[in-house]
Amino acid sequence: MNFIKNLQGLDRRYVFIFIAVAIIIPLAFPFKSVTYTTSPVESLYQLIDSYSPYVRADDLNNDGIISEEEVEAFKLDRAIFMDFYHDAATMPELFPMEVAVMRHCIYRKVPFFTFTILPTAVPLIEEALSVVTEEIEKTGRVIERGKDYINIGYKPAALYLPILLGMGDDIAAAVETDSDGNRIENLPMYRDTAIRNYTQMNLVYETSGNDQGLSWMIYARPRFGVNVAVGLTAVMAADQYPYIQSGQCVGMTAGLKGAAEYEKLVDMFAMNNINYSKGQLDDPTEEMLANLDITADTVPTEFKMARLGMNAQSVAHILIIVFIILGNIGYFLEKRKQNKNL
Amino acid sequence: MKKNIPLAIVMTLGFIFVGWTVIPAKWMQDDFYTAFQEFVKTMSPFAVFLGVYSLINVHYNKIRMKAPKWGYSYVTLAGLFVTSLVGFIWGTQSGTPSQWIFRNLMMPMSSTMFSLLAFYMATAAYKSFRARSVEATVLLLAAIVVMLGQVPLGMTISRSWPINILDISQWIMDVPNLASKRGILLGVGLGSVATSLKILLGIERTYLGGGD
Repeated sequence: MNFIKNLQGLDRRYVFIFIAVAIIIPLAFPFKSVTYTTSPVESLYQLIDSYSPYVRADDLNNDGIISEEEVEAFKLDRAIFMDFYHDAATMPELFPMEVAVMRHCIYRKVPFFTFTILPTAVPLIEEALSVVTEEIEKTGRVIERGKDYINIGYKPAALYLPILLGMGDDIAAAVETDSDGNRIENLPMYRDTAIRNYTQMNLVYETSGNDQGLSWMIYARPRFGVNVAVGLTAVMAADQYPYIQSGQCVGMTAGLKGAAEYEKLVDMFAMNNINYSKGQLDDPTEEMLANLDITADTVPTEFKMARLGMNAQSVAHILIIVFIILGNIGYFLEKRKQNKNL
Repeated sequence: MKKNIPLAIVMTLGFIFVGWTVIPAKWMQDDFYTAFQEFVKTMSPFAVFLGVYSLINVHYNKIRMKAPKWGYSYVTLAGLFVTSLVGFIWGTQSGTPSQWIFRNLMMPMSSTMFSLLAFYMATAAYKSFRARSVEATVLLLAAIVVMLGQVPLGMTISRSWPINILDISQWIMDVPNLASKRGILLGVGLGSVATSLKILLGIERTYLGGGD
């Protein structure tokens, strides 16, 4: 009884120590854990994958053989737009999902634009791009700025709506220059391709710690029919469910869990250059399973940050649940004692 | 005069943009909107200038008057000038000093501030999350199920249970959470329309400042 009573009045600094230990140990000593994917993440993955020349060439002839000529024919006439609306504070949750989506695009040859209206997000975009390109270039693949992706970089917040609406007509006219000051119309990804507006750049993926994604759903989706998907911190995810159900939001990566799910899909399919299949998701091959082992060196650490973080989050969640249960046991014992004394 | 002119600007521009939303004509959608875009682009640098001027002015005065915690104003101003200079001279791409500042100062400091939430949430849950009433008990059980459903370890623990914790967690998010969120959103939406109309018609004037 005394133990429970003491537990009720436990100094919060002890709780801090328990939480710190519960987070640090799983990060220092990673263990294998299973990541379960959910439909909002799978939908986003499938949509981006459908823009891949590999998938479209396969759909065209349906003969199961994809030649390089077929891939080239479809290359660079579909793209996605990534809007970074957060700073370094929410980076632990949002950065892994941005890296995972960029990796997916690069592996599957889907060109992408990066953009922000926050000055504090500029280095974040550069960080994500350098993490992804440096690791993938180690495999021998050359990734060219302006050809594989265009970093539009920072544009003042006052231009957000004009850019958002202007891209419905012409991306180059709406944003004018990339982060290095080059005119968009002179960059190969625009100059040598058919990518002009939301018809080709048919997905906006917006990452933020608030409901900024709504701007795209309110202005760009009804007017131009562009698909909108969001990447959010876990606390903001609940707000997006009405838009997911209505179809206004085509996909969502919520918190570290969403990022971990996306990482898993990229490692299973995109990294092996395999088209997404629900059947293989439930019954993966040996090759896929090898990439999913986060304790092995098959995948660089930068590409499994979310899953490593989920280990720490797992232990912290369980610990908080234990704390809640202990707190309530103490509360009821205390209450029973008080009732007896009456 | 101080109130009538701003009021007239708000009402005129407000109704013009209502018109832009509902009038599909070329002169409204293209001509007017192109002119508006140019206007916004011209105005933006003035807003930045005003922001920088205001920041310098506030902190300069704090230092000059030795206001409480005036020493931190030196840090703020140093941060402003150093990061601006570094960005102007070397740019902001990877490998530049600007990126170094972001990676080694900005990123760890911001993430540390945000991560404190986990510690406060854990303490708050332990100290005050009690099943004091039926409503509180429902909330508590829902929280535990959602928390378990969100993490791999929770799923592994509950694998031997007769119920699938992920399905229940997803149901809580898809049904009760969605219903309440939609209700709140409808309320907020209607409230926004009413407030916007009051501002456009000049009934709501508190944004102008002053007493009435």
